[in-house]
Amino acid sequence: MSISRRTLFGSTAAVLAIPAIARHGLAAEPIRIGWLATFTGPLAAPTIGFDRGVQYATALINGAGGVNGRMIEIVSRDTQGDPTKAVNATQDVISRQKVHAIFGPANSGELLATTPIMARAKMPSLVPGVVNSLIDPVKFPNAFRVTPSNQQWDGAVRRYCKDILKVKKVAITADATGYGTSAHDDSMASFKADGFDIVYDGVIDPAQPDVTPDLLRARNAGAEVLVSWTVSSGMAARMMNARGALNWDVPIAGHPALGTGEIGKLVNKPTYWENVFQVGYRNCSYGPDGKLPKANADFVAAVKGKFPLSDTSLWWVCSGVDAINLIAEAVAKTGSSDSAKIIGHWNTLNMWPGLYGHYSFSPTQHNGFLDSDVVMSKANSQRDGAFDLAPGYA
Amino acid sequence: MLAAILAAGLAVGAVYALIGVTYNIMFSASRVMSFTSGQMGMLGGVLGTLCISRLGLPIIPGFVLAMVGCAAIGVVTEVIAVRPVLKALDQHLYVLSTLGFALMIQTFTAIEFSTEPQPFPRLIGIGEGNPWDEKFWLPVVACFATIGGLELLYRRTLVGRAFLAIAEDNFAARALGLPERNLRMASFALAGAVGGLAGFAGGELLLAFFANGATLNFFGFVPVALGGLGNNKGAVIGGLALGVFQQAANFLMGGVVASVAVFAVFIVVLLVAPQGLFGAPAARRV
Repeated sequence: MSISRRTLFGSTAAVLAIPAIARHGLAAEPIRIGWLATFTGPLAAPTIGFDRGVQYATALINGAGGVNGRMIEIVSRDTQGDPTKAVNATQDVISRQKVHAIFGPANSGELLATTPIMARAKMPSLVPGVVNSLIDPVKFPNAFRVTPSNQQWDGAVRRYCKDILKVKKVAITADATGYGTSAHDDSMASFKADGFDIVYDGVIDPAQPDVTPDLLRARNAGAEVLVSWTVSSGMAARMMNARGALNWDVPIAGHPALGTGEIGKLVNKPTYWENVFQVGYRNCSYGPDGKLPKANADFVAAVKGKFPLSDTSLWWVCSGVDAINLIAEAVAKTGSSDSAKIIGHWNTLNMWPGLYGHYSFSPTQHNGFLDSDVVMSKANSQRDGAFDLAPGYA
Repeated sequence: MLAAILAAGLAVGAVYALIGVTYNIMFSASRVMSFTSGQMGMLGGVLGTLCISRLGLPIIPGFVLAMVGCAAIGVVTEVIAVRPVLKALDQHLYVLSTLGFALMIQTFTAIEFSTEPQPFPRLIGIGEGNPWDEKFWLPVVACFATIGGLELLYRRTLVGRAFLAIAEDNFAARALGLPERNLRMASFALAGAVGGLAGFAGGELLLAFFANGATLNFFGFVPVALGGLGNNKGAVIGGLALGVFQQAANFLMGGVVASVAVFAVFIVVLLVAPQGLFGAPAARRV
């Protein structure tokens, strides 16, 4: 029997195609999740925690057979904290990698640049950024915030100052970064509207070697609490050192960075870190009984030995877990990874119980985090990535 | 209150002044404004922390090792960022080469050391929390010791006179048989050590932080402009004045506005005396 060249080519092509068919045609298509984060560079700290949660939740779901038989595939890109790289990564995961949903980027500057791109592609996106303008259900109907907003952080600080510390005269400080300046302006407006007397406000260069003059001004103005909006551990520690040197035991309350482990190394005396309260989260805080809420205590017990929590924040890890679970559940419940269906499902969530907090969304409200889940914590109390609730909470 | 502002102002000003002196030493030897000066200051703090806190060396060997490290970086600056562009000084390529090298130093430090500020060790342990805290007076002492030492070096030693000779006229100095290239490298090593001393003495104030370099580059240049290029005494007076003015402005006006005030005064001074307060007007050949 003679074999023609055409038959030979046809048979060979068919044999070669078998693995590809098996891979793409017969196996269920994976659920591809774009995970854009700052894996390297000065802003990488949160990503370490987020990523542990993302990888843990993915492994757990895939280990249990996936979502309706579909495995989750994480498509991660390192944005290095650079908005330009974040834009490129966003376009890559949407256009070339064909992801079904995106978590990230993990800082607000990058999110400001990438949110409109994701909106144009109608890409379901979970937003781990606090800047208020990132969420707008009309302009960005695809974007759902899975962290508190600046306003909610600010609200937690205000409630603590008003209801627990019972102070009236406030000094508001912030660092001279884009975040700090916007947080300062928002905080000024909200504290004023809430009837506080703002006796001093200052936007401080985070590289300023000594902040004694700023604290002297606040003290002379009669401040009863220092509200601090800075992500710079150096500036926060300088503020605590200057406060200690002035023998001024005024409480400091503000940004979660007040509790980073780096500050413990930078304060001149451990006591200078006392009477400092940072924004925290009820689910990730030890109550007066010294215990985490049950679901989170179980989670901490489950991950023990798998990855450390002592070098990160529990809420970053929990947020990573929640993000994957939110996407997986949307696909499971709707039976589809179609973007409209995922978005439609998220819009129906009401008090969805995550590890980080409870999430509620509607077509007109995409700030999902519950106000009462945002609390204040004792800044120097970190253990296993979680903090003690600040004094005064039940 | 006044004591706290003065102490902090003089301390920060002394650090700025030493960075200004670093600029001056490099400029005298090469006619190049090297923008690695601030990075030398940053490295003084980082290497101090590295040697004393991390490697556990006693303070004096740690200090010596940190200074040697900064001096070595000074030499490397001369070799890779200055020497190749000396023939094209009029094209100001040194701006690009020294800025590029400064960025490399900064990035390398961020990757290998830390991206977060690290504590600088307490050196003597005097006056914690008071205006006479060592973190305030150590930079001032280092500044005056450096100026005194440089005066002795330049006026009383043969090597110092050779430095002055190449600063004055390097063609004539070469014609007289002075090893111009070696002297230039030695000058850059000296500048590296002086910059490192600024960061080491001011370490308790500035902390060991990779991003300090850019700030010091910026504020260290102001005393040079105020005091007159190449004038070390002018740089010291300009630096101390800048530090005190900056801290007073922080107290009276607050952070960002204070920075604007500092530079407003700086611009006014330069409008009134473009050659700096202590510099001589440049002579023009006719």
